[in-house]
Amino acid sequence: MSNTIISELKGIVGESHVLDNPGDMAQYLKGDGKATAVVFPGDTAEVSAIVKLANAQNVKISVAGLVADTKDLEGGIALIMNRMNKMLEIDSKNFVATVQPGMLHQDFVQQLEAGGYLFPVEPYAIDSSSVGGCFAIGDSDSKSFNYGPTRTFMMGFEMVMPTGEVMFIGNKCIKNVSGYDFIHFAVGSQGTFGIFTKILVKLLPQPAAKKAVIARFDCMEEANKTFNILIKRHIHPDRMNLVSASLAKEILPGEGHLVLIDLEGFNNSGTKLANEIEAILCLGGGKDVQIITDKEAYEKLILGWLKVRQIINNAQESVLEFAVGPMKMPQALAQLKAMNGALSAYPGVVVEGLLGAVMLMLPEGTDKMALAHKVNNMAMSLGGNVTGLLGHKLMCEAFNDAQMWSETTGLLDGLRKQFDPNGILNPGVKLLA
Amino acid sequence: MLSQTIIDRLTEIVGEKNVVTRPTDLFAYGYDGTLLSGDAVGVVFPQSTDQVVELVKYMNEQDIKMVPRGAGTNVSGGTIPSEKSIVINCTRMTKVLEIDTENFVAVVEPGVVNFDLQQELEKHGFYYPPDPSSWKASTLGGNIGECSGGPRCFKYGVTRDSIFGLEVVLPNGKVIRTGGRNFKSEPGLDLTRIIVGSEGTLGYVTKAYLRILPKPTTKKTMLAVYNKVEDASQTVADIVAAGIIPTTLEMMDNLLINTTEDYCHAGLPRDAGAILIIEIDGYPEDMEEQIATIRGVTEKANARDFKIAQSAAEVDQIWLSRRVAFGSVARVKPCYSIQDITLPRDKFPQAIEGILKVAKDFDMIIGIVAHAGDGNVHPLVLFDQRNADEVERVHAAEQALCELAVDLGGTMSGEHGIGIIKKKYLDKEFTPEAMETFRKLKKTFDPANRFNPDKIISI
Repeated sequence: MSNTIISELKGIVGESHVLDNPGDMAQYLKGDGKATAVVFPGDTAEVSAIVKLANAQNVKISVAGLVADTKDLEGGIALIMNRMNKMLEIDSKNFVATVQPGMLHQDFVQQLEAGGYLFPVEPYAIDSSSVGGCFAIGDSDSKSFNYGPTRTFMMGFEMVMPTGEVMFIGNKCIKNVSGYDFIHFAVGSQGTFGIFTKILVKLLPQPAAKKAVIARFDCMEEANKTFNILIKRHIHPDRMNLVSASLAKEILPGEGHLVLIDLEGFNNSGTKLANEIEAILCLGGGKDVQIITDKEAYEKLILGWLKVRQIINNAQESVLEFAVGPMKMPQALAQLKAMNGALSAYPGVVVEGLLGAVMLMLPEGTDKMALAHKVNNMAMSLGGNVTGLLGHKLMCEAFNDAQMWSETTGLLDGLRKQFDPNGILNPGVKLLA
Repeated sequence: MLSQTIIDRLTEIVGEKNVVTRPTDLFAYGYDGTLLSGDAVGVVFPQSTDQVVELVKYMNEQDIKMVPRGAGTNVSGGTIPSEKSIVINCTRMTKVLEIDTENFVAVVEPGVVNFDLQQELEKHGFYYPPDPSSWKASTLGGNIGECSGGPRCFKYGVTRDSIFGLEVVLPNGKVIRTGGRNFKSEPGLDLTRIIVGSEGTLGYVTKAYLRILPKPTTKKTMLAVYNKVEDASQTVADIVAAGIIPTTLEMMDNLLINTTEDYCHAGLPRDAGAILIIEIDGYPEDMEEQIATIRGVTEKANARDFKIAQSAAEVDQIWLSRRVAFGSVARVKPCYSIQDITLPRDKFPQAIEGILKVAKDFDMIIGIVAHAGDGNVHPLVLFDQRNADEVERVHAAEQALCELAVDLGGTMSGEHGIGIIKKKYLDKEFTPEAMETFRKLKKTFDPANRFNPDKIISI
């Protein structure tokens, strides 16, 4: 990239908001590609001008809240959104927040909580995730059973399109089916359709009471069985997670695998459910079963869980996730053991009980694709699959349906080209698995 | 008219009894819940995905446009046949393929009627949240096409929030599967999201994976009566602010209180400005706490009466008026035009004011029913189809209502879709960039523009 572009970038955002010295840039970059400049835009107009410049000069852009992926960036621009980090409005009458994408997800959650609002979506990686990133990734989390996946909370956005035009779509209506549902489709597009510059987020009221029940188990399979008992009794807490001993150390000191059940709701039912859960965990062989009601202890516990989530999400290359539905989980764990050895061999295992999903951290040197094939076949025999687009690809392979896969990827590719004809935005994102 | 060759081929694909081509028979598939109608050249009733694929491929060869149809209950013109099109009717794909209560998923074909599925689920103590008013007749395929809502949406969301995945025949005749069987099994960028609510313009749904839930252990129904509509809308805002998300918050205004009283004598006070039906669900031990809060909120908002249903009969009594609301207006005028404009909750009082002004400006009678919790208002514009002048004024009033919603920061469609009826106003709600985005989506899926052409937008 020529010096002229760097000076043009400086002209757009101001001298102090462009870095081009590798030493200064390093903390904002990850991956083994190369960026020529790290740029910190301050508003939508600046983002738009940068994208237009990139299109004119055929330079690629990688966007992030704090740390941009340099994969396939080919000396392009890393666009770091952390200056656009303001809460623009909390609309108390409509329960809608308008926020800039660069605000840290956890800051957003905490600011809302102080005002009595709940944004239940868990940060992807608590220390670095931004609100924009949250919706760009648009996954589901341990609380999705009761609150819905991330996209449920998207009501609208302002977006700089890959060719530089600014688009606004959406409103403060929780019910809106006007036009094509691009509002929710854009969630999960990982910045391939455009760059969020303003987001309208649906809020909920804070629950009247929060408490948790925890227990220790020597055996993960035994612990998982208690989840099925709870579901059979129609108990649907907000989180119902099982964390392997290795990862549980990040949450609480102690021995054994950790069951963490989280209840957000009303006072009376919360107390009754906590007692019922406590009893079931005890009967199921749980040790050190405790109901956590103390606010500080509760928050520490949840924060610990979010750290575990971060560890897993930051190691995506060596994590394999599959879903089979909650009641098929005992079979899935048994078959996984028969196929690939005891669960204790993995550096980390998390079972999300209500969603029937498992995240496996793979030992170093594991052939992830080979294992993914085997695990996917096992999961499919139980009506599930490996998650994500990888899972879809494996499913099509298992169906021996190359046509379905090529149609799906053809559509995704076609859409991306429609929106980004010059292939500028987020080259590292591969929607095609 | 279709050539005999085409008719023969269609018959070969779906069977003789499943092809309709006589003009008199076609009539029944030419209209929906609007005043619009259109003439298809044929209707076919496939019974499997393979047949849909064969049909779509053949019609592509013949360059024939295709219009999807379920029960045809929609109120936006979404299923009105375009010129020289063939209607692909899903009403013979009626199998419930799987009900897996343990993993909270049901797999259905698109022709299953919403209510039939609910009854099937009821046997297991489960339900499927979306409950559009048309549920006794409308198909799930149609619900997915329009992204239908219903009274329970306030807590449980519209159709899109209950769809895990789909099997879709694309406009090129290829089949894809989108999404999965639970939230976790969805791929990151999920095509399900753009197909739900696309009114059959992007693909034909042949199978759907629906989210089902156990029926809540307890439900409580309350009725609050107000002198002024504004007080009812204040109540709505305050209930949410108090940390309660009711399943349902239905409102009826004075006009409808009176038409329903004429019709069924449910015992509502005829001089009331508005009533609010409030329903909450959840664990039994939380009911008292929530009812006390709601009672406090209604009192603060000057409710003149507040009643909690103590028995199933009393629940029915409270719901009776709301259920007959649409039919009851027939005593005033034979027809009504229903809108589904939706506002941010705090604009509710202004919306009511605006609707009354529209009624005055166009000299029409307008009654108001609202899913007040989510800001979704159904103004019923009453008219007589035989009166040409009135029909004209109805259309003018419709436009004014859509503009009112957009001006107040809302949307012209909260749950019915755009179809043909609202297509002409769409650019009032969406910026040129958003309209261009819609065109890009349509072009990518259906470059030849053969699937339900000219619905939502024109290419």
